[in-house]
Formats: sequence, C-alpha cells, structure tokens
Amino acid sequence: MEKSSWAISKPGTTSIVNQSRFFPVFSKTRGERKSTLEHIHRRHRFSEMKENKHSTVRKWENMPYDILLKIFMTLNIVDMVSGISGVCSSWRSACCDPVLWKTLDLSQLKSDYINIPSEPYAWSDDRSSEKLMQILKNALSLSRGNVTCLIFHFYIYIKDEHLIYTAERCPGLKRLVLPAWTKVTVEGFRKAVQMCKGLESMTVPCISSPSRIMEAISTNCKNFCELKIMCPFDMEFATAITTRLPKLKVLSLRCSMLFKEALVHILNYLEHLEVLNISHCLLLDIPQSPAPSRVFRELDASILEKASRLREFLTCQENSCTMCQYTINDEGILRWHIYEEGLWRMDEEISFPRQVMPPAPAERCHRGVWKH
Amino acid sequence: MSLSPSTSKMLSLKSSDGKVLEVEEHVAVLCETIKSLVEDGCADSPIPLANVDGATLGNVMEWCKKHADQKASADDLEDWDAEFVERDQGELYHLIMAANYLNIKGLLDLICQKVADMIKGKHPEKIREIFNIENDFTPEQQEQIRKDNSWAFE
Repeated sequence: MEKSSWAISKPGTTSIVNQSRFFPVFSKTRGERKSTLEHIHRRHRFSEMKENKHSTVRKWENMPYDILLKIFMTLNIVDMVSGISGVCSSWRSACCDPVLWKTLDLSQLKSDYINIPSEPYAWSDDRSSEKLMQILKNALSLSRGNVTCLIFHFYIYIKDEHLIYTAERCPGLKRLVLPAWTKVTVEGFRKAVQMCKGLESMTVPCISSPSRIMEAISTNCKNFCELKIMCPFDMEFATAITTRLPKLKVLSLRCSMLFKEALVHILNYLEHLEVLNISHCLLLDIPQSPAPSRVFRELDASILEKASRLREFLTCQENSCTMCQYTINDEGILRWHIYEEGLWRMDEEISFPRQVMPPAPAERCHRGVWKH
Repeated sequence: MSLSPSTSKMLSLKSSDGKVLEVEEHVAVLCETIKSLVEDGCADSPIPLANVDGATLGNVMEWCKKHADQKASADDLEDWDAEFVERDQGELYHLIMAANYLNIKGLLDLICQKVADMIKGKHPEKIREIFNIENDFTPEQQEQIRKDNSWAFE
C-alpha cells in the first residue's frame, strides 16, 4: 500500500500562532486600537457577507445522508478508515452504513515481504503484520458486522490471528478471497469458518492440505457451492473436492496447472456442477510410465462429452491469447506480480456469484471480471 | 408533447433569491423535477425553485445546455465536464444540493465524483480544511481516532 506521509500538528502550535497574531493589537495606543478593531469588525462583516454570498459556511457536515453515501461509495478502504471516518461525527456515522461495508475490499493492501528459499517462501515483518491488524480493527469496527464479501490481495501475508479476528466480526460472510501467502494453519482456518457458517463462495490461491480445508468447509458451511482455485490442480485436490464438497456448483481453475486425470475425475463425480472454467490452464497428461508426461492443448471427445451436461464450460487454449501465453511461460504457476495489477482477480465467469445464464457453446473465450 | 430542440419553447425558472432565468425547454427538462412539471402541464408561470439560488441555477443550466447539445461528442463532454467541476467547495456544495433537488443524475454523479477525488488520500485535518467542516469530536474521541489511525501517520 501507499505510505501516507501526513503528520498531526503538534499540540501548542496553534496557540503560539494565535498569540503572535493578536499580541500587537493590544500593544497599540487607544486610537490605533480603535481603528484596528473597526478594521477587524469591518473585515468580519465583509467576510460574513462574502460567506453569505458564496454560502461557504459549514454545511458539508449536514449534507443529506444519501448524498454522503454516494460520495463515500467511490472511496477505498484506506480513505474510509484513515480519512473520512475521522472528519466529524456525522461523517463518521455515515461511514458505518451497511451499504458501504457489504464488500470489504482489502486488495489495496499488500505486505512488505522478503522472499526466502524455503517454506513458506515469503516472509513478512512484524510491522506489516501489526499494521494489517490495525487496519482490520478499524475497518471491522466501522463495518458493524455487515461484511458479506471479504477480499484480501493475492500478495498479502496473513496469519491465523488476522483471519480469526476478521471471521469473528463478519458473521454474515458469504464470499472470501484468500491471499496466496498465508501462514494460516488448518486449525486457524477451521476456527474461522466455524464463525462464518453462511460462507458460500471462496477463492483459494494456495492450499497445502486440500482435504482438511475442504472438510472444514463441508462441516461448517452447508450452503457452500462456489470455489476458485489458483494453484496446481491434481488428483489429491480433485478427490478432496469430490469427497468433501460433492454438491459444488461452480468451479474455476483458470490459469493453473491442470492434470487431465483430475479434470476427468471432477467431471465424473461432481454431479451438481453447473459451471466449470478451465480457461488458459496448462493441461498436463501423465500417462502410466514409461510414457512421458505431456502438455496438451486439445480436449478430447470423451472430455467434451462429459462436459456437455454443464450449463457453462469455459475453455481457452489459443496461441493468440495473452493469458494462455502467460500460463505457458510461467509453466502453470502464474507470477501475477509481474503482470498488470488486478489481473489476478479476473475471471471469465462474469455472472459470478450466481445469475441465470443462457446456455453457452462448449468453447468460448471472453474476458470478464470475477464479480464480488 | 415534443421536446426536440427545433420546437422547444422557453421556460421561466425563478430562483430562491428571485432571479428569473429564461431557459429553452429541451434544456430545462434535463432536470427530472422540471420535466415532470412540464409533462403535467404545470410549467406555464415562472417555475419557483425555492432551494436553488440564482448563481447556482445559472451554473446548473449551463451544464444542462451543454449536455442537451446533441452535437457534442462523448470526449468533448468529458473534457467540458472536467473543466466545469473546477470550482471551490462552496459552489460544489450548492451544485450537489441543486442537482439532488432538481433530480439531475448525470450532474449529481459528476459532482459527487469530484468531491470524492478531493477527499482521496487526505487525512481528516486536511479534509476539514478543504470543506470548512467543524471538528465536533470530543478530545477523548479525537484521541481515540488518532490512536486508531496511527498506522496511517507513519
């Protein structure tokens, strides 16, 4: 995030200025003082008239509530938390309106991090961690439990304490976008979802034990039906989903390394699946040895046949497609930080989370945004 | 009733400070409030606009005139709007209130965006200064807010 460079004026500064401004007035002779006072009086009257004419007297604090909301709606989390909420009491109360907190988008916040060669591969200092905690405290206090969609940046480093603190204050959470660099443990994740029983949808860039994470979701979140995975999708992942979340309706695996066996598995066993996005995936086939593993671009007839029952099957394996090129160049594990900011959030499943969509042809590629 | 420019007649609008402005009907009907009066046939006498002063009404109608001009391209309007919103906070306040009262969505959106842009990236003291807002927090509340936001002061 951008570092703010503003400072508070030190206590006492104002009074020194005032003294130096008013002191000369009282050191003058009576006649001089009279004319000065008259001058001040005249100036005051003039400024009154001027104020009346332009009506610049204090009014913004009494601005109709719905107009304040309209203005605040275009502001980001940092402006809400560190700017307008501290202006005056009426602005602060408008700041707490549920409409402003439906989505808590923290995608503006990234961690100061250091790359390290062993797990967890990224390390963030205590200062960023404390700062994130403070922002979460302020934001969640203003939100008054009204957040239904929570978005972390792909590159923010969160710990159990961040996720649990947030979950406790978002009882109505429906959609959660987790970052890639999480030090969140399975136990921490379980504690968090226990408090968010209404969770329906989640984006997970990285999971080390898919089975236990999916189990935590299936035990606690009965309405869970939408998942986006942003890391290699293999058989372990596929079986975790088919076992723990058999009722999944929407699955996006875009831009990730996708093993053919895993794709076939979910098409075979996810009976309730309606939408599947495998656009720009690096498709890998690992036949039984000694045959070598290979990258393939064309989906065979049996896969297309299985997928034909889906309401929407999104695929793209085009040489001319930039996203496909990125996936190939990065060998199926995208380095989102080198591409344009916000690209990691994109998804072709434009009607997300859920809307009635017309039946789509089996193959198509269109750009859209993963809607929150 | 046709509202096309060629057949447009003139409407009289009377501001809160008694100024009367003659405006072409196809321009004035960009204000939804006036449009409904026209459609209901209540727009014969000068239309009294009790919540809009003369200067602001002039500015509003200037915006409406530009936006009623069918020859203006989207780029042209964008540039014109960017210049139009370059005003002090007092004028912006009156424009917001007038756009709200007269129900002109385009103008309201425009000014609200301008105000939001003026707020972006600023700390509370600066925002109060720009918009001439009184700090009505108690010293205790003020201290709490300052403490909560200490991360942003670094």
